[in-house]
Order: sequence, then structure tokens, then C-alpha cells
Amino acid sequence: MNLKPTIGIETHIELNTNTKMFCRCKVVDTEEPNISLCPTCIGLPGALPVPNEKAIRYITLLALATGCTITKKGMFHRKNYFYPDLPKNYQISQFDLPVGENGKLEIVIDNEKDYVEIERVHMEEDTGKSSHEGTGRIDSATSTSLDFNRSGVPLVEIVTKPVIQSSKVAVAYIEELRQLAIDLDISEGKLEKGNLRFDANISVAPSDSDELGTKVEIKNMNSLRSLERAIDYEIKRQSSAIENGESIIQETRHWDESKETTTSMRSKEGSADYRYFSDPDLPNMVLPDEFVNQVKESLPSLPHENRNKLVETGLDLSDSNVLSKSEKWILELYFEVFDNTKDSKATFNWITGELQGQMRKLEIKSLPEWFSPNFLSDVIKLIDENKISFTSGKVILEELIQKDTTPDDVAKKLDLYQENDESAISEIVEEVIKNNQDIVERIKNGEEKLVGFMVGQIIKSSGGSINPGIAKEILSKELNL
Amino acid sequence: MELLNLSIRELNNLFVNKKAKPSELYSEIFDRAANSEAALHAHLSLFEETNLEKAKNSDERFSNSENVGLLDGIPLAIKDNINIKNEKTTCSSKMLSNFISPYNATVISKLDTEQAIYTGKTNLDEFAMGSSTENSAFGLTRNPWNTDYVPGGSSGGSAASVASRSSIAALGSDTGGSIRQPASFCGLVGFKPTYGTVSRYGLVAFASSLDQIGPISKSVDDARIIYSAISGHDSLDSTSINDEQIDLPFDKNATIGIVKELMEDGISEESKKEVDKVIDILKQKGYNIKEVSLPLIKLSISIYYLIAPAECSANLARFDGVRYGLRVDGKTSYEMMENTRAEGFGDEVKRRILLGTYALSAGYYDEYYGKALRARKKMVDEFSSIFKECDYLISPTTPTEAFKAGEKTSNPLEMYMSDLCTIPANLAGLPAISIPTGLSSNNLPLGVQIMSKPLTDNSLLNFSEMLEKELDFNRTPEGWSK
Repeated sequence: MNLKPTIGIETHIELNTNTKMFCRCKVVDTEEPNISLCPTCIGLPGALPVPNEKAIRYITLLALATGCTITKKGMFHRKNYFYPDLPKNYQISQFDLPVGENGKLEIVIDNEKDYVEIERVHMEEDTGKSSHEGTGRIDSATSTSLDFNRSGVPLVEIVTKPVIQSSKVAVAYIEELRQLAIDLDISEGKLEKGNLRFDANISVAPSDSDELGTKVEIKNMNSLRSLERAIDYEIKRQSSAIENGESIIQETRHWDESKETTTSMRSKEGSADYRYFSDPDLPNMVLPDEFVNQVKESLPSLPHENRNKLVETGLDLSDSNVLSKSEKWILELYFEVFDNTKDSKATFNWITGELQGQMRKLEIKSLPEWFSPNFLSDVIKLIDENKISFTSGKVILEELIQKDTTPDDVAKKLDLYQENDESAISEIVEEVIKNNQDIVERIKNGEEKLVGFMVGQIIKSSGGSINPGIAKEILSKELNL
Repeated sequence: MELLNLSIRELNNLFVNKKAKPSELYSEIFDRAANSEAALHAHLSLFEETNLEKAKNSDERFSNSENVGLLDGIPLAIKDNINIKNEKTTCSSKMLSNFISPYNATVISKLDTEQAIYTGKTNLDEFAMGSSTENSAFGLTRNPWNTDYVPGGSSGGSAASVASRSSIAALGSDTGGSIRQPASFCGLVGFKPTYGTVSRYGLVAFASSLDQIGPISKSVDDARIIYSAISGHDSLDSTSINDEQIDLPFDKNATIGIVKELMEDGISEESKKEVDKVIDILKQKGYNIKEVSLPLIKLSISIYYLIAPAECSANLARFDGVRYGLRVDGKTSYEMMENTRAEGFGDEVKRRILLGTYALSAGYYDEYYGKALRARKKMVDEFSSIFKECDYLISPTTPTEAFKAGEKTSNPLEMYMSDLCTIPANLAGLPAISIPTGLSSNNLPLGVQIMSKPLTDNSLLNFSEMLEKELDFNRTPEGWSK
């Protein structure tokens, strides 16, 4: 039987506002529990929510950046469920009138553009954090510790339509969404800190069927790697069940990172009638045209726009995609260096390969202040013009990162400029031929691979300043090869 | 000097003219509370010792002519669902019997600025759900006019406290009549302001879209003084509105509507007679009177008993034993929460949580809660069009005089009917007041209710004050001392 998987992803992104969604408590990044709390975010009797306008602005930014239609008169809804880390035992969220609906996100798969359709973008408040001692699960824990620092932190939830067909697309989608949130400056976007969390709804159906199979929700995927593996595992599990004639149960399953399997979560966590209703403590979320237009005008350059600009410099889509996911300063550096070199591939390779490689080796996260983008374009140009070797270029770059100097100074100091004067090179070549008559004989007898050895000897005699290409050319001429 | 029967303005005059001191009033009040409490059980806590210092400071201010306003040194009782920092807020529930609030409700912060003094926290139906103050986990409150009878509810403790002169005035909360009905049962003025003019921050929510804090007092002027102190926009309450009052005429140029549906079956002859009495006065004074019909009023109890329980089912979900209040242990977190809620809530509260949970459930939402919302919207429209032809609407406050303790406890529906006249104002967010008009054949107080359109609170108070003078009720209950 030919089967096809269908995946929908729900992503929660923690917004980087200074204060929480419905109170003025600071959003804190600390292990120390329960230090940023007030009556509202721990649900004391009588406390009331007041919306954070900046968070609504951020969510509108994301909705606009994903091409969503903005709901002018939205609503806050209460989503009712009991859980110890949910102080009010309802979560203020949005239901039928979210901030944005029907958008799409461009992604790059194998050097081709693709799109993931977005169903909705809406506001949600975060819960506290539970640590279930003993088993790690609420229904069998010996005790549960609660930290409410995170309670009430604003989240934006992005729900895709069920349109994703592989783990590869799912990962590309999350990477793109993460970059978008960072470029919009609405989130730190750190997966390891839980700034970005995702659940996947996966179903498998016969390839020729128009209907989707029974969907299974997968929770607890903490990294892109676990997202990929959980999806692959679940597709396999459902496919073989269907092939064996078993039916799929609609349920929530838990990704077990250590066992690399999904297991059923048959507790109250899974069963859900959320009894959504409009929150009577909050007026409608009205987003006037004026506000939406103003937010629209403040949109920065988005990842897909950056990619298009990179493609215009001559890079292929795949390299452009890599660069569009880099830190902002790298992207800026690329464009500045490219402006001088006009060589997109060399600029890309030097930045993503040599420069970032050396920075990793030196364990530095940003370039020193003295490091001008011109240094990099100078190095690339010197190599292009055969004035230094590629290897010398790497040496110069290493110096430039560590010392306040210039490419020219380094090249001079380390004597890295290559000899390109033919008569001077000829002298050295003749000298080397004289000293290696036996090798020359063997070359003439057909052992052509020894040419490389001779070129090496020539460069060595020159102290490294001879351009290997020219050396080889003159050598061949002298030996009549 | 007997200060207890005086109005806030009269007391302030005595203090300003140094003919009496706030501390003298303070001792009279607490003497009275000590005498009446055994018979009435109006209070859940009394702050005699903790507030003595405040009374003395008030003395000082008056003697130095540094007094801040009309409420300086005036002892007020506070319904025990309004948070006062470092005091218990129990909501008359076992669930919160040990809960001490770490913060002040906005109304309390405002009264603090006015240097008012709190006599204590008053009894109520658990979480303000009830009409008799019999649903209190800490025992019922009795009517000061006759202790066989209930004081009404849910702000029955506040009404009994003011009626017995154990406080000068009190704060109550009104979700479906919880200020006006007990005020009427106890011969007092009870005022529910326009929804949104008084902050709900710090009022333990029952039904957020209906709850409103307001005064229970001996006179309309006292209610006005308190209302003007506690009202105003509050940035901590998103449903708070800018209190931009609209002026209505309150002299004979005003048009008065008699609500037909509240003068029909289910309303006692005695209650109707009080309305007739008021209408006669108005006619004599040359007011324009007309009978008006609001057909949806007949559905108000049905609408209310879907919307209020639905909101309460979510509002009361936070009481789970996890962070504060009662905790009854269990083997797992969920078992603990279940045990806590099973033991912490009384029957009426459970009944309403179940009703509301059901009304919001998948598959039932449209049929129940959704339909109730649509009907509520239509009722608001009905009121809007009536207020195009009338300035004030008059009706009885309650279908009957106060009923006997125990009389309706086994019949929730009959109990719910006692809020028939008061619920519409909550559903439509209107200002509404009950003023005492006379006594029934059983010597129990009766009152009438006056409603007007949103944001006409001041005019409504002025109009009521005019009627109050004409009616000259001015009676003090003595039943509690027998």
C-alpha cells in the first residue's frame, strides 16, 4: 500500500517583552524559582489581567510577516483545563478570532522554494514550570515543584495547516520561523531555553486518498533533531500499523528522547474539552487600521527578502538560505564585502568557511572592532590578483582577527607577497633544476607527477613568495614539457 | 451623644466643628457591634484593635484641621469578598478560611486615601452566590428587623451591619441584586453603579461581566459620598471605564417608566403597593409617568443562570489547593485538587460550577451559553430603546418582603426567583438603586428599585434623594435587641 504522511505543526514562541502578558512583572531568565510574581500571574483571588500592548504589537508583526489577514476585532478567550502549574486553571488565549489567519511562510528545500501554509497566529499566556519528582510524570510523581516565573509570559502560537509531508520540511519550517522571530526582534529564538516549543500532529493515509488519516499529536520534542526523529518514528509506527490492518487511535503521544520512541499519554493531560469562552475580564482586542499600518511600516527585512537579495548577488538559493539564517552581522558583512569583491562565491566561502571557522577555533562570538569588512575584501582581492596564495590569505585572516593591523602590514611582515616577476622566478627555477638533476631525468622519462615535487622545491627556495601557478608554468617551459 | 444614627455629612460636621471625635464614634460602633453580633452574626471579623490607631489619627487630623474629606474617620464595613491587605478574605468559604490577602482591592486603596476606617469583614453567601446569606460556611446572618428572617444576600452581612448601626455604611458587591435585595430587606439604600465605573480589582470574582461593587447605607447621600470615593477609571481593571457622567433631569421634566413585567405575577401585592405609593408621589409632583414593556425581562433569570455560572465555573477554578487556601491531600496532584474542591466548596457553589461547566461544554455551548449571550445582547437593546423614552424605570426591588431563615434553602429555584427584579440591571450594566419605602404588614421593610441608563449614576442618585425626602422612611430596626 502506498501511504503518505501529513503533518501540522503548532509552535509556541516566547516573546522577548520586558514584562509579562497580563501584569507588569518582569520576564526573568533565571533558575531561581518564584521571584517575579504578583497577584495576577499566580491567580490570587480578585486579581485581574491587563493586556501588554507591546506583546500584541509583536504578535501583529509576526502575523503580518507571515502574510496573515489581521482580525480587526479579535477576542481573548479562556481555555479551561486543570493543571497545577496553570494558576487560574484556565489559560488566556484566543479562539475563533485570532490576531492573524491564512498566511504562509516561504522555506528552502534542496535549492528550491517551497511554502508552508499558516492557519492562524494568536496570543497565549505561558504557564508556570512543573518538576515532577520521581517519575517525571504528573500522575505518578512523588511530589511536584512549581516555578511561576514563566507564568503569564507572552507567547505567540503559530499553527500550520496540515500540509507538511516530511520531517525535512518540518525542520526547515521551524528553522525559518525561528529566523523570522529573531529578525523581527520579537524573541530570542533559543530552542535550548524553550523560547521556541513545538508539537506535531501527524497522520498517515493512502496516497490516493483525499481524506487525512487519524491524527496523533506528538509532544515533548525539545530540539530540531528530536522533531525530525519523532516525526520519522511516528510515520513509521503509523504506516506499519496501517499495513498490518490496525487502526490508529486519536491520542497524544510523548516523544521519549532516550528511547527514541513515542509513547501514549493516557492521562488527564490528554483529554480535552477546553470550554473556550470569551474572557469577561478583557475587552475585545481591537486592532485599528492605523495601528496595523504602523506595524506594517516597521517591518524589517525578512528572511525570504534577504534570500532574494543574496540570490541577486549570484549565490544559489541553498547558500542564500544558509546566510539568511546567520546572525545579522554576518549578513551585513557579506553584503559589504561583496560590494568590493563582486565575487559572491568567494565572499560566501571566506565568511562561512574561513572566517567563522577561525572564530570558532578562537572561541570568539563577534569580530574585534578594528576588523574592517575591507580587510576581508582586500584578502580576497589579493588572492584573485595572485599577489598572495590562498594559504597566505588564511594566515593573514588569522592575524587580522587577533591583532589590530592591516592585510598589507601582515603580508609584508610575514613576507607573504608572491613573486610574480618571471626573470626573478626563472633564476630560482634554474637553480632548483641544477640541484635536482636526478628528478629532472625521471620527469623526462615520464614520471610527470614529480612536477609537483619540483614546484614545491621552487616555492620552498623562494621562502613561499612564489605563485605556484607561475612557477609551474616556467618550470614546464624550462624542461620543454 | 448617640452618633450611630447620623449620616456621614452630619458626622463630618460634628468632627469638623469639634463637637465629636472619630474615636468616640469608633467606640460607639464597636460597642454596638459587640451587642448585636450574637443575635445577627453580620461580621466574619471585627477590626476593633487593629484600627483604633487609625481612629486616633483621625481625631488628630480633625483637631489640627488637617482632615482629608467626608469619609475621614468614618467606620465602614467591608464585604468579605473584597481584599484588604494583611486581612483574611474568606468569601464565607471553607476554601479560603485561612487566606490572608497580600494586596488591597482598588476600592480599599481609594478608601484608604480618604482615611475611612474599616470595622470588619461582613458575612455573605459563599462566593456571593445566594440571596439570603444562608450559604455561608461560617453560619447565617439574621435580619436586624426580625431575627427569624434572613437579611437577604449575598451582601446580607453588610446590610445587617449597617441596619444594626454596627457600621455607618458598608461595601457590598452586586452580581444579580446582592446589594439591592439585602438593602431592601433591611430598610436601607443599596446602590449598584454602572458596570465599569467602580474597579473590580481585588473583588473576588463570581461572574466578572456582572459583578459590581457598591455601597449599602442609611441614606442616598451616604451612598453618593461612598460612590464618589470608590469610582473612577482603574488601570488595573481592563473593564474599568472613564466615568463620564451624563446628566438626566431629575425634576418634573423627567419621564418615569413603570416596568410592566415587574408588576405582574410573581410579585406580591405589598411590593406592588410600594411602587404605587412612589408613583402617586411622582404624579402629585407633576412627573410624566408611563407604563413600559420590556418583554425579555421575563427571561432574565434564565439568561442569568447560564451566564453567571459559566463565568463562575472558570473564575472559581483557581481554588485548587495548589498555591493558597484549603488543601486536602491526595495520592496525586489531581487527587489533591479534587479532594480540595470536594471539601472546600459548599453545595450552592458546586451546583453553579456544574451548571456553568455544562453550559460551556462542547456540543452544548451554542444551545446554552451562546444563546444566553445573544439574549443578553437583545435585552441590552431593549433597554436602550426604552431609555430613549424614559429617564428612570421604577419597579419593586424584590418580589416579596424578607423571607424566613430556612424557608427557601431546600428550593434553589424559588430562591433564584427572589432576584427577578434586580438581575436585569446586571445583565444590561445599568446603574440601579433600591430605596426603602415602608414596612409590610409583618413589620419588615420594603423598597423600590430605580434604574437608569449607563453613566447616569449621579442623576439617579439625585432623583432617588428627591424621592427619599418625600417618602421620609427614616426607621431604625430594633428586632435584633429583643
